[in-house]
Amino acid sequence: MSGSTKNSAPRISRRTVLRGAGCTVALPWLESLQALADTPAPSAFPKRFGVMFLGCGINEDYWSAEGQGAAMKLSKTLEPLEPLKEKINVIDGLYVKALTNQGIHPGQTGSLLSGAHISKGAIIHSGISVDQMIASHVGNDTPQASIVLACDLPMTGYHETNFSMAYSSHISWQTPDSPVPVELYPSLAWDNLFDNRGSLLDISILDRVQERVQDLTRKVSSSDKTKLDEYLTSVRDVEKRVEGMRKGKAQAEDAAKAKNTIAATMERPANGLPADLRDHARLMCDIIALAFQTNKTNVASLIISRDLSAMYYPFLDVKEGHHAASHNNNSDGYERISRFHVSQFAYLASKLDNMKEGDGTVLDHTCLMFLSNMWIGRKHDNFRLPLVLAGGLGGTLETGRTLNYLNASEDNRKMCSLYLSLMDRFGLKLEQFGDSATRLENL
Amino acid sequence: MRFRVLSLIAALAAVPASGATPALNRQFQQTVRPFVTKYCIGCHSGSTPAAQFDLKSYTTLSMVTHDFSRWMLVMDKLTAREMPPKPVLPPPAQESRRVIDWIQALRTEQVEASAGDPGQVLARRLSNAEYNYTIRDLTGQDMELTREFPVDPANPAGFDNSGESLTMSPALLNKYLQAAREVADHMVLMPEGIDFAPYPMRADSDREKYSIQRIIDFYHRQPTDFADYFQAAWRFRYRAALGKPHATLAAVATESKVSPKYLPLVWQILHDPNAVGPVLKLQKMWQELPTSRADQPNILRAKCVEMRNFVEKIRAHTAMQFAAPKVRGLPPASQPLLHWKNQMFALHRRDSDPNDLRNDTDPPPVVPAIPNYARLHQEAAPRWAAISAKARAGDTDLIVPAAQRARYQAAFARFAFVFPDAFYVTERGRFFPDDSEDKGRLLSAGYHSVMGFFRDDTPLMQLILDEKDQKEIDRLWNEFDFIADFTARTWEQYFFNESGEVQGKGAESGTPRPTDHALTDEAVIVQLRDAYIAKAKSDPDNDPVAPEAIRVHFDGINATLRALEKERSEAEPKHLEALLRFAARAYRRPLTSSEREDLLSYYHALRTKNQLSHEDAMRTSIVSILMSPDFLYRTDVSGGAITSSAPHRRRVTVQTAAYRSQPLSSYELASRLSYFLWSSMPDDELLKHAAAGDLQRPDVLLAQARRMLKDPRVRGFATEFGGNWLDFRHFETNNTVDRQRFPSFNDQLREAMFQEPIRFIQDLVNNDRSVLELVYGNYTFVNPVLAQHYGMPPVQGDANTWGRVDDARRYGRGGLLPMAVFLTQNSPGLRTSPVKRGHWVVQKVLGEIVPPPPPVVPELPSDESKTDLPVRELLARHRDNPVCSACHSHFDSFGLAFEGYGPVGGARTKDLAGRPVDVSVSYPGGAQGLGIEGLRNFIREYRQKEFVDNLCHKLVAYALDRSLQLSDDSLIKRMETRLLAKDYHFNSLVETIVTSPQFLNRRIPDVDERTVSLARKGE
Repeated sequence: MSGSTKNSAPRISRRTVLRGAGCTVALPWLESLQALADTPAPSAFPKRFGVMFLGCGINEDYWSAEGQGAAMKLSKTLEPLEPLKEKINVIDGLYVKALTNQGIHPGQTGSLLSGAHISKGAIIHSGISVDQMIASHVGNDTPQASIVLACDLPMTGYHETNFSMAYSSHISWQTPDSPVPVELYPSLAWDNLFDNRGSLLDISILDRVQERVQDLTRKVSSSDKTKLDEYLTSVRDVEKRVEGMRKGKAQAEDAAKAKNTIAATMERPANGLPADLRDHARLMCDIIALAFQTNKTNVASLIISRDLSAMYYPFLDVKEGHHAASHNNNSDGYERISRFHVSQFAYLASKLDNMKEGDGTVLDHTCLMFLSNMWIGRKHDNFRLPLVLAGGLGGTLETGRTLNYLNASEDNRKMCSLYLSLMDRFGLKLEQFGDSATRLENL
Repeated sequence: MRFRVLSLIAALAAVPASGATPALNRQFQQTVRPFVTKYCIGCHSGSTPAAQFDLKSYTTLSMVTHDFSRWMLVMDKLTAREMPPKPVLPPPAQESRRVIDWIQALRTEQVEASAGDPGQVLARRLSNAEYNYTIRDLTGQDMELTREFPVDPANPAGFDNSGESLTMSPALLNKYLQAAREVADHMVLMPEGIDFAPYPMRADSDREKYSIQRIIDFYHRQPTDFADYFQAAWRFRYRAALGKPHATLAAVATESKVSPKYLPLVWQILHDPNAVGPVLKLQKMWQELPTSRADQPNILRAKCVEMRNFVEKIRAHTAMQFAAPKVRGLPPASQPLLHWKNQMFALHRRDSDPNDLRNDTDPPPVVPAIPNYARLHQEAAPRWAAISAKARAGDTDLIVPAAQRARYQAAFARFAFVFPDAFYVTERGRFFPDDSEDKGRLLSAGYHSVMGFFRDDTPLMQLILDEKDQKEIDRLWNEFDFIADFTARTWEQYFFNESGEVQGKGAESGTPRPTDHALTDEAVIVQLRDAYIAKAKSDPDNDPVAPEAIRVHFDGINATLRALEKERSEAEPKHLEALLRFAARAYRRPLTSSEREDLLSYYHALRTKNQLSHEDAMRTSIVSILMSPDFLYRTDVSGGAITSSAPHRRRVTVQTAAYRSQPLSSYELASRLSYFLWSSMPDDELLKHAAAGDLQRPDVLLAQARRMLKDPRVRGFATEFGGNWLDFRHFETNNTVDRQRFPSFNDQLREAMFQEPIRFIQDLVNNDRSVLELVYGNYTFVNPVLAQHYGMPPVQGDANTWGRVDDARRYGRGGLLPMAVFLTQNSPGLRTSPVKRGHWVVQKVLGEIVPPPPPVVPELPSDESKTDLPVRELLARHRDNPVCSACHSHFDSFGLAFEGYGPVGGARTKDLAGRPVDVSVSYPGGAQGLGIEGLRNFIREYRQKEFVDNLCHKLVAYALDRSLQLSDDSLIKRMETRLLAKDYHFNSLVETIVTSPQFLNRRIPDVDERTVSLARKGE
């Protein structure tokens, strides 16, 4: 299934992903069933993690934030976040060392979420990204471990630095050797999440097995029958759990509907790719919001525009494509492009914030992260990355702050330290991740 | 003192005692029970009976027959006068004799009652090992999917392949489902069927990697080294002197592993009568090659390499060079133009550029300045032209007499026609900004950022490849596109990222998505093509070839996409056929017609009801096949439902006193054979015989068994049978060694230790050696790590390089006994354990049953470096206690023979405390021996029969997937007789087993009339 990862056994490389020509399907999440079917609904609300990506940096003249809470002052590009000021953290000065000084673009992007060293040439090799680390840790709680979406067509050729363009086209990596294929089509992303395809297929497979075992049982001796009964019992047992899971999900959806009408009204997006990026991005955000709210998944990533994007923004009155525009990144045009992306982030965050959950909102139990692979596009400068977090992650992450690490020591400017801190909050405590063995100070 | 060990008859539960005569019953009550009460139950009863054997509990004859193997042990112990132990007074010989005779009589009666019974073989799922091997043979890829499966429990005979022990659970079922999906992920759709890749085909990059590697591997297999051809030509020239006066050029080519198609061309130019210039120079080098009498192959090779270097230099200096056609407003790196340039290179690799030659009347050439690297999207050709010109400047071979320019030019042309500047190109960069960064872009078209592949192998096709290989490389390239869809994806990427250039929007700009078309529609392609052509025609200064170049490019894309569309839709029915074939192979038998229909209708339901794509429906169908009991279970039940057209032998139901049996069907037999000898599914040849229905013919069956025994898949047998018999199957995960104290013990050594007995057994079986080699063999197999561990001469190579070491006794090795895996596994960390090592020998190798130890045993110290006495003396004390001695005297001595080997199996003369080790041994019965050699001698003289007997028992239990029963006795006797007659060669054991009634038949256990009638109906 493009664009999503299913729950799976501990070894991430086992994660099964099907890719079809033109059509994609989610494979099931059976191994998680036990956990879900046997445990009562958790009293605490699940924590979620979402990443949104903009390629080629921002307009640095209009990207800044000062002060705390309601008094926070946001610059022009960050203005869409104005209503959410108390629920965000604007973080400055972090970077990924492994992605510096080795060539521009793909070499600046290939391990943004893992801090790994990436390989040039024919064989691609990066690291498992933080979202996929979290997905494999908490993924068993939901039908899908994660959803991985993009509005921008991935590329697989070579950049002149001899890094594969796959590094520019993906931020989520399920194994060091394979990025998670992105889902471009809103309709297919919707089907995977809400059509319960995986469980339907499982039930169809298990039904067939049952029929065949019963058929065989009629033909064998009574002692063989005992052995086959053992099999049949196991099959029935698993199938019952799949069905229980489906029922459980239906109930969860009903509950979600009762709570919030916005989510409930989302219809299946039309087939095909939306012609207008604004529609495309909005649909993808709606899907993520709905998936979080209905506990379909707790992890999502979305590339609005990838690195070296050739996307056009006629609606922003910019003539050049994305990458070309970024070479003149302190232009008004590129500021509008940057602000457009931030407004998508604000849209998703607000949407989650409008979804009541317990005493708070879904956003309060979430951490959304907005980032780019560069600071200044015209210089391909990535010693500092634009970064905004939104959501309190179930009360574990203080918000309404501006945090500046620009003048901090080298050791305390690492994106990987931030990832360690975030993974901690998901109960995934690692000693080391990427180039860091320490948590980000003051987060 | 000799042991009677007929111990492995473990499960007699199925044998009813109904036939026991009243006389035996009377004797049991009147003679046997009083004897037992008097002499045995003092120890063997109560809440903690000795050896966990409660003799008081046997109150009826049927209780004895149901647990007969233990009563056989009673017989052994009485016969050997080991029970009752001192200090209990021994019973009068006559009384013992009567009990012994009674057990013997009961045994005879039981054997008769069960004669001809093939035994009950339960339906059983594949064991984890069988699952792995089966998936490997089914898909051609070793995926090792069961690493995270729960470990299979073993049956009483120690094997994990029987229905008694192989159970199913929901947790395991989930693992199966996950594994089945993983297999399905490896599936690759091919134009003619389906295949499986070595890794899951998840991302586009996986598909590219898979397809590209196959092409690269093909290229690298081709003989394209000119030096090899010169050397082959030399062999032809001196064929008479080399002893082959009648060899043809083609025959020499084949023998020299070069192309028979190309060698004549090389030969021809080496004898070109009109030789001038490079041709003449090459001929001179050719003439100067050493003659056949010169016994100096190195010099010959060096000279041939010189010739090659000369050819390559000339060709590098005269290769044709091209730039992209100029079109105002389009960058030279524009895809249609760059594609044309690539084509020009590819088509002119057998041409010589006449402009590269200089007349002898010309002034010396001016060495040009090398321009900087071309900027992004600029033409790189001028820089490369300058670099080439500079390289050419000093090359006097390019100077030709002005008066004979035409003649020389022709010679250069002929030269180039035979010697291309490259046979094929596997990597192409963009020469920007630093070509050292262009490496590793396999088969790349050299586009910027956007993907793209370009095939450049015309000289290889024309000069080297025969028709078959031409077809194969054509097929590989076609499959590349079929699998990875690269033309379509390149088109999409180009469309969105570069095609805006034609509207003057810049080199990295795209075209908006067409609203009413799919991107790959012909109309979209044509529209863009025409825009480019218009642009190319809009300026008279443009290169006049540009419109044609553009047309070729776009029309080529369109033609490829249309052909692929057609091929894809035509392939779908072939894929379904392949799916059915896959199912039949997975089920190890032909599908019934209803099974075929059922599978196809499932696929169609997935397409229509579940809206899956063809590929996803194929994958899901594969998952469903791999979850079917027909794949996961071996039932020995065809359900009477096979309607193969092949003739089936009529099933004859045999009824003896108590049992009815029935021959296995051909397919069941094929599976039984292959799981016995390979731990895996039958191969095509075996299935062919099953289909022909002649597998039950003894000659065919034996021929197949012999063929299979020579097959490398015997590795499965060596691992599963050997590993479980000798108890090292799980050594790969052994973690009992203290690696701080034994730093040489690392994962590589552990793996090598694990492999050694497997290699040994596989070699023994593959080559039908004597089974006695297992004990007495004076050879073993080592890889570099193990050779070092054993102090043997170094073995060159990696961990997979294994070599046979003869005269291994020089290093204290040879045969199974002193293999490090057993010595290590039977050592508890920081000391050796003669107890465990000895116990292993008598129990596993010699098959003696040793009762379990009493609940309270004194522990020996864990670290021998910290004990006051050597281990052997601590043990001697232990044996002073007669209760301990009853058992320990049986095996401690065997273990002491290994004291010359440390806790990880290294040879030693001192223990960890620095005390010299003593390897002198006094065996039960008083025989003396020194170390491992003494042990071998002792076994040869006193225990060989037990070893052979044990091997036979184990082999039968393994082959039949069940525990043994009394009816197997006669089979084992036959095996032993034949083994002796065949000088102990292993094959005779297998041959006796596979032709035995046990192997060929199955029991009809509960006279289920329905089963019989169904089976008949199926005939």
